[in-house]
Parts: sequence; structure tokens; C-alpha cells
Amino acid sequence: MIKMQEIRKIYRTEHVETHALESFDLEVKPGEFISIMGPSGSGKTTLLNLIGLLDSFDNGSYVLDGEDVTKLSDRQMSRIRNLKIGFIFQTFNLIPDLNVFDNIDVPLRYRGMPARERRTAIEEALATVGLASRMKHLPTQLSGGQQQRVAVARAIVGRPKLILADEPTGNLDTAMANDIMDLLEKVNESGTTLVMVTHDPDLARRASRQIHLLDGSLIDLKTQDSHIPLINAEPAALANADC
Amino acid sequence: MFVYQLRLAFKSLRRNPVLSALMVVAIGLGIAVSTASVTIYYIYSGNPIPHKSDVLFHVELDNWHPDKPFDSDHPERAPFQLTYRDATAIMQSDVPTYQTAAFRGEFIVFPDDDQQRPFREHIRMCFGDFFKMFDVPFQYGNGWDEAADLAPESVIVIGSEMNQKLFGGVNSVGRSLKIEDRYFTIIGVLAPWRPTPKYYDPTGDPFGKPEGIFMPFNFTPVLEVFSSGNTWGWTSESINNHEGYLQSEMLWIQMWVQLDSATQKQAYQDYLDAYVLEQKSLGRFARPLNNRLLNVMTTLEEYEVVPDSTKSQLVVSLLFLVVCAINLIGILLGKFLSRAPEIGVRRALGASRSSVFIQHVLECEVIGVLGGGLGLAISVLVLNLINRMLSTGEHLHLDLTMVGAGLLLSLVAGLIAGIYPSWRICHVAPAVHLKMQ
Repeated sequence: MIKMQEIRKIYRTEHVETHALESFDLEVKPGEFISIMGPSGSGKTTLLNLIGLLDSFDNGSYVLDGEDVTKLSDRQMSRIRNLKIGFIFQTFNLIPDLNVFDNIDVPLRYRGMPARERRTAIEEALATVGLASRMKHLPTQLSGGQQQRVAVARAIVGRPKLILADEPTGNLDTAMANDIMDLLEKVNESGTTLVMVTHDPDLARRASRQIHLLDGSLIDLKTQDSHIPLINAEPAALANADC
Repeated sequence: MFVYQLRLAFKSLRRNPVLSALMVVAIGLGIAVSTASVTIYYIYSGNPIPHKSDVLFHVELDNWHPDKPFDSDHPERAPFQLTYRDATAIMQSDVPTYQTAAFRGEFIVFPDDDQQRPFREHIRMCFGDFFKMFDVPFQYGNGWDEAADLAPESVIVIGSEMNQKLFGGVNSVGRSLKIEDRYFTIIGVLAPWRPTPKYYDPTGDPFGKPEGIFMPFNFTPVLEVFSSGNTWGWTSESINNHEGYLQSEMLWIQMWVQLDSATQKQAYQDYLDAYVLEQKSLGRFARPLNNRLLNVMTTLEEYEVVPDSTKSQLVVSLLFLVVCAINLIGILLGKFLSRAPEIGVRRALGASRSSVFIQHVLECEVIGVLGGGLGLAISVLVLNLINRMLSTGEHLHLDLTMVGAGLLLSLVAGLIAGIYPSWRICHVAPAVHLKMQ
């Protein structure tokens, strides 16, 4: 699903260069659920942004779902994000003046889907996250857990192959966090590849594979027993040379 | 997608109604001022008879001071008017399809109705061809023929307002009207007619109303009519009576001909040249041969019918609109950039840069069009106010072309205001803002 090789990402200001990722390799198989951990500033979010085509890198190559996305135009990257990737953020990132239905509708609008198909897809997504009755509510009328459920619905409504979750439970209490994790696992079980950034080791352990980042490099890799067969049992192939 | 983006634009405007109203008013004021100015300019500079303006020619003969041109800034130009002698002489030509010498006189009219008091009225002294060559519309009856010109017969044509004033608007053809001490029979009543500018006589008020009464030119010596329009002269003459006025070198007659082909035009030019050469042999026309035939638009241009102040006003008002639009750039930039986190989300969910750009330009265009609507409403009020101040009826008004121009200007203003803020917001890095929500 994801194959990154020799990725380098440098943030530059007038006087300082910060190497966020250095000679970074990563391979994620279709249907995998991997968690990315690491201290603040280790490059977790940068990695997620690069995987999600939200940021560009300085060196290396990146193949996503069999397509080389190293040098694509903005329009092509937007198209891939829209069709293949779903995003879940720590702060939910719902658009405040759109109701639940319209928030989930956003990615489908950019896909140019007919109205009837959009409605069906949105209703299905809301049913999946258990919020079918909250369709007309504004985000401010929902609890944090419900908002994140809406964000999950928005991420899955277009049936993407890959979901990127950046600390999806970071703003939730334990019970709500577990609910969201259950939901994400359910999505992953349906075959969607899931890449999740988290600070919580307990949540990270629920992934089939854990990646630890430190100063922009991969330093550890553990594979859990998982419904993902075989392909996850090749950690050496996934490890960065510097590990 | 367009409808969706339009919905987003309105939603965004509703988010901060006070700010939105402020922007709409700013554009509205710019549109009001510029549309009013464009309308004035458009009406002043328009072609009053587009289907014939290239075959109607104003005749000029250079009968001016031997040592000075008529217009020292444009020495190639000849005087705009003719002497009575020359006008009546060249009226003998059989080259033009139609031709008329004409001028504005002033008479006292005595209404039949005892309830109405006599009043002074401007009367256009002209030949019967006047109505045909200028496509003057008739509501009742017709103009007079050549026989009436030659006689002259005591016939007149009156305008629609005059007919309303004297006869309550009914068909007055056949009725008599006493002008000075003579009765004239009304043979035609014009339909409402307001050539703008009044190209057939732009020497006085080019935006004034046409005269209320039209009378055969050849009554000029009979009724001893003097011009109530502009009269020019270059030499000192002793004029003791009306006959002396008619035979003088004073210039007060406008002369128009219709020449339908280049051949006809050349033939008439030759005719004029021959006439002036003959006059030169008699000691007149001391200046070099300079007989000119100007079509309608050239005539209006040389008469400088559109005042320079109107042109300056147009430029200033358009600049005012640009300034209004530029002032909005800062407001829109702040508004759009404050929405960067939302745009980050939309970009993450699949919105391309161009899609974000179009969404925001569309929002600016909505502001522009709303401002345009407001501006057009204000400009209608402004033009009505000007009409009242100048007592010109509904002379200055917005027609469909001007409404279209106003809306086009509002779209341009929206684009000027919105293009930079939209470009900036579509180039924000989504990754930066996704963590900031």
C-alpha cells in the first residue's frame, strides 16, 4: 500500500535547517494497521503528512497503492487524497458551520458524486459510527467522542484504501478513546489500511505493527499477531538501514 | 460543484454579516458612481442614428476670416455653420438624396384654447427633407413636400409634447395654430422623439429637447425670423434690417445632406467646390478651399459634444471603483486567511488548489454582484436626481446595456478585490493548519 524509500524532509527557515526525516524507508502492506509512536518533534506528524500527500519531501521516492506519487501535480495529489485516503485528526477538524451531514459530504462533493449516491454513502457511514440520528446537528452540539465519530464517518464515507489517524484519541477520555479505537479496528478489519500516530502505548499495541520514530529515523519495529498474514512477518524488509 | 461553491460563498458571507455588508456597500458605492458616470458618458457619446450616421453629412464651407482659421487649435476645421446666402444657394443642388438647411428660431404661439396664455416657443425652420433624412417618427400625419417648401405653404409639424400641451394629445392634424400673426395648419404630429445628442444642431444645447414646432425654412424672410441659436461672425458688418441679416456674412445656418454612395458624395463635394470657387471669383471665401462633409459621429466629435469634464469624470469614477476594490483586498485577505484551518481540512479531503481558488473568487464575485445590485439602485436614484436638477425629464436613465455594464463592472471589481486573497488562501500549506484547529 505504501512504499517509501530514502525519504528526506527538511524544514528550512532563514537561518536553521531542521531534518525532520532522514533517509527514511517504510513499507506498509494493504490491510495493515500500524501505529507510529515517538516523542514530540520526532517526525510522526511529518511522516503522516507525507504519507497523506499533504506535504512534499526533499528526496526519495514514494509509491502509494502501486502509483508513484513522488512527482505529481497538486490536482493529481488532491485527486488521490480524495479517492484513496481518509484523514482523522486529534482535534476532529470538523467545519464548525456545517452540520454533521454536510461535514461528511465534503470529500464526496470534491469527488463529484451524484446527490443520491452521496446521501446513501453518508447515511451508511453515519450508521457505521452510530450517529444516524445526529445528521442535522452542528459540531458544537456534539460531545468530543461524537465529533470524532463524525470525523471517522467523514474519513470512511468515500471508502478509501488508507486511513491516516493523527492521535485520534488524544482529546478523548479513556472510554471514548476505546470506542474510537474499536471503530477504527472495525474499519481496518474491513480491509482498509490504517496508519495511526499515537502517544499511548496501550493504544499502539492494538495495531498489528508498531513503529517508533526518534529524530526522524525509525528505531524500532514490532509486529503483533494480527489478521494480516505473512506480510507483517518481514520486519527486516521494512526497517530503515539506520535502525 | 458550482452550486456547492456558491452555497459556500453565501454561507461564508452569513458568517459575518456586518463585514459582508460593509464590503457590499463599498463595492456598491463604487458601482453607483462609475455606472452613473458611464451612463452619462454613454448617452453623451452614443451614436444617435447608427443605421444612417455614415450617409448623413454635415456641410461646412470655410467662409471665415482671411487670415485666421475658425479654430486656431484645429486650423483644418471650417466654421460649423453657413451664411443664409450660401445655405440657400447650395440648397439648389440636385445631388443629395435629401438635404436641409435649418436653424432654430423663436416665436410666440397663440393657443386656440382661451384658457391657455400665449407662450414663446422654439421652432425649427427646416426643409421637408428634414423628417425623411433624420427618420423622424410621426404619430399622426406627415411632413410637408417640396411644393410646401417652395411656396412656402402655411403648414407646420408639432412635437408630441406640444400636441399634448395644446390639444391634450389627440390627433390634431388639420387643426390651425396661430404663430405670431399667422395661422398655420398642422399636417403632422411627431411620436415621442428625443435624439441624443441632438446631432442635427449640436451648436446650442446638444442634449436639449428637439423644438416643439417645425416650420418650412422659406418662411425665414417672410416672417423675418432671426436665429435664436448661436450666430458667428468674423467681420464687422452694418446690419440695419432683416434683409441685411440674410445677406450678411453671419453664420447661423446648419446644413445637412444625405449622400448614399461614395460617388454621390464625390459629386456633391465637386458641387460645393465649384460653388465656392465661383464665390471666390466674386470676392468672397478668401481662405483656401476647404469644403468639408462630416458624417454624424465626426460632426459630434469635432463639435466636442462630449465635454472633456465628462471624460475626466468617467476616468475618475472608474478609478474610484478600483480604489474601492483595492480597499477590499486587505479585508478579504484577513477574512480568508482566518479560514486557513478550514481550507487545510478541505485540502486534506480532496479539494485542489484551483477548487479552493474558485471557491474564494466566487465569494468575491457574489460580493461584487450584490454590490453591483446595490450600486445600480443607487445610480438610478443619482440619475433621477441629475434629471430633476437639469430638468431633462428621463433623459439620463439606465438601459439594459448600462445595467449589463454595471454588472460587468461589479464582476471586474469583485475579481480585482478577490484575486490576490484567493490566490493566497489556495497556496496555504494544509499540513501547517491541520494541527492548529
